[in-house]
Amino acid sequence: MAWVKRKWLPHEADEWTKEDWIAIVLSPLSYIFITFGLALSLFLLPSGFIMLAIGLVITVFMFWVIDPKLSSISKEYERKQHKYLDDLEQIQRWEEQK
Amino acid sequence: MVHFSGLDYFWSIAYILLTVFSGVLFYRLGKRSGADFFLAGRGLPWWLPATSNFATHTATDTPMWFSGWVYRSGMYGIWGSLFAGWCAISAFVSTRIFRRSLASTQAEWQTLRFSGLPAELMRGWMAGWQVALNMFIAGWVGIAMGNVCAWAFNWPIWYGLVIFSTLCAIYAMTSGFWGVIIADVQQGITMLFIIILVSIWAAMAAGGPTAIVEKIQALNRPEMLNPFHFTGFVTGDYPLLWLITMIIVPFFGGFGMATHSDWFVEAQRIQSADTIKSASYSIWSGAAAVIVRNSIWVIAVLAFFVLNPYMTDESQYQLAWFRMGFEYFPPGLVGFFFAAILAIHFSTVSGILNLGAMYATRDLYNHYINPKATDKQIVRMGRLWTLLVLLGSFFFGMMIGKDVTKWLFFALWLMTAGTWLPNILQVIWWRFNGWGYLSAWVANLGICWLVVWILPAFGILPDLKDFQQFWLLMVLVALVYLPVTFLTKPDDMDRLVKVYVQTRPIGFWGPVRREAERRGLLQKKEEIDLRAEQEARKEG
Repeated sequence: MAWVKRKWLPHEADEWTKEDWIAIVLSPLSYIFITFGLALSLFLLPSGFIMLAIGLVITVFMFWVIDPKLSSISKEYERKQHKYLDDLEQIQRWEEQK
Repeated sequence: MVHFSGLDYFWSIAYILLTVFSGVLFYRLGKRSGADFFLAGRGLPWWLPATSNFATHTATDTPMWFSGWVYRSGMYGIWGSLFAGWCAISAFVSTRIFRRSLASTQAEWQTLRFSGLPAELMRGWMAGWQVALNMFIAGWVGIAMGNVCAWAFNWPIWYGLVIFSTLCAIYAMTSGFWGVIIADVQQGITMLFIIILVSIWAAMAAGGPTAIVEKIQALNRPEMLNPFHFTGFVTGDYPLLWLITMIIVPFFGGFGMATHSDWFVEAQRIQSADTIKSASYSIWSGAAAVIVRNSIWVIAVLAFFVLNPYMTDESQYQLAWFRMGFEYFPPGLVGFFFAAILAIHFSTVSGILNLGAMYATRDLYNHYINPKATDKQIVRMGRLWTLLVLLGSFFFGMMIGKDVTKWLFFALWLMTAGTWLPNILQVIWWRFNGWGYLSAWVANLGICWLVVWILPAFGILPDLKDFQQFWLLMVLVALVYLPVTFLTKPDDMDRLVKVYVQTRPIGFWGPVRREAERRGLLQKKEEIDLRAEQEARKEG
């Protein structure tokens, strides 16, 4: 699927792109399908098994799309985290800023 | 009255010892620093905060209100429990943004996102409110335990509240968030195992899944198995507007921060994760476990329904899940069931005690009173506040008494209805400033009491259903904070650029983005796109 980007440079991954929106749309759908699919499946109702299967497929696809991007963001960000934490401590101790 | 055999006593006592011991075991890690006592050192793999999310959000009162909804409305009632759905979008939006801010608490986020006096006022207000709210939640969950013990053992209701909340306060005080999170893992596994087991036993007691379906149809209640059954837009037992509210409010709330009371609990777990990806996955999978739990509970509650179909007293049918366990498990397993109830109770109360103590220590003591506090002082203060939140919970618990769910919707939902949209706007709109946000909180506090209690009491406003009150509150409070926002200056651009570059929020941040580009802090979007295109060509 060429329209889904799977290789990210850190500064590209920081931008909000269609891959984020795919996750944003699919994630609530996966929750809804899994919730009702599982509940109905436990009563052995066919509609439940269908909904559960759809929910699981959506979930797998969603993570397939978003995982490379999140990995890239994390990798770059954690590199900078220590400096950010130091800055944050300065803001936390507000009297020192005065 | 439930009777325990020797084996039942063994399970219960062994479980209490195991939990307290496994929590206290992390005493050394907990006392290392403030970050350890409240955030477990910010280095946890995703599955630890995920399990903790699940365990913390499975409280003693949870099976009560869930049983109530499903007993009354069948599968349609599940929609009400989908408030955990805010994590669906939050995991990929606000969790990511908040994790990048590295703010320890939502109160601390105020002084990162906003500038000047309103930021400080918001931080102080939010910290104080969170301390009080966590006392209330610990009391409310604690008194639910008191009620379960009163029903099961004929104890006075304060026994269950005081004894079991005090037990989990032991490891919350000694080991802080390390103790809480490690205990949460074994508690999460224990409770999920027993939830599955109760559902199996309940289904068998009612004759199996197919028999339950047949009995529901024989009772002429086929709508109990239809989650999409409506009786009108706002009328009847199954109104469409309620369902729409239950979809929009949680799911779209994921774009913001603090749109749900659970956010404050999750925020702590987001910052305890070792990476942004871990934070996202922990929030998504923790909530996924919650919705799976709800689905598993349904069969136990509907089994109870077909066995006891004509109950009208809510306080009785709310105990459906507890009764299925206590009444149908064999001797020996009943004690294990009670141990799982303790797990459910401990996980929530210990987490809430630590959370309340964090706001008091980080945002009140360390920020305003003693900014130069050493880690040792912070940990000591954290322990003291854990104890104070526990004592406060006893007061609130006894105040709530037997009406456990009466307070639920008002305290955790309607009391913050007017701030739902501002909580989203603070993330997605650069122009929404500190004064606007502060005015939303202040206005909401007054207007929610007017709309829910005072005006209906004087006949000025008709008695509205909770979801109608929610939308009304949202509109009324917007009439205050939108003019305030436009009549006051935007936040300081230096602060906005800093928070934008660090957290990269979604939405309408155009002027801030351009300023960050002008200062050379970010690449222009066109340049990024051009470079990405060149990279793609090289690969292609």
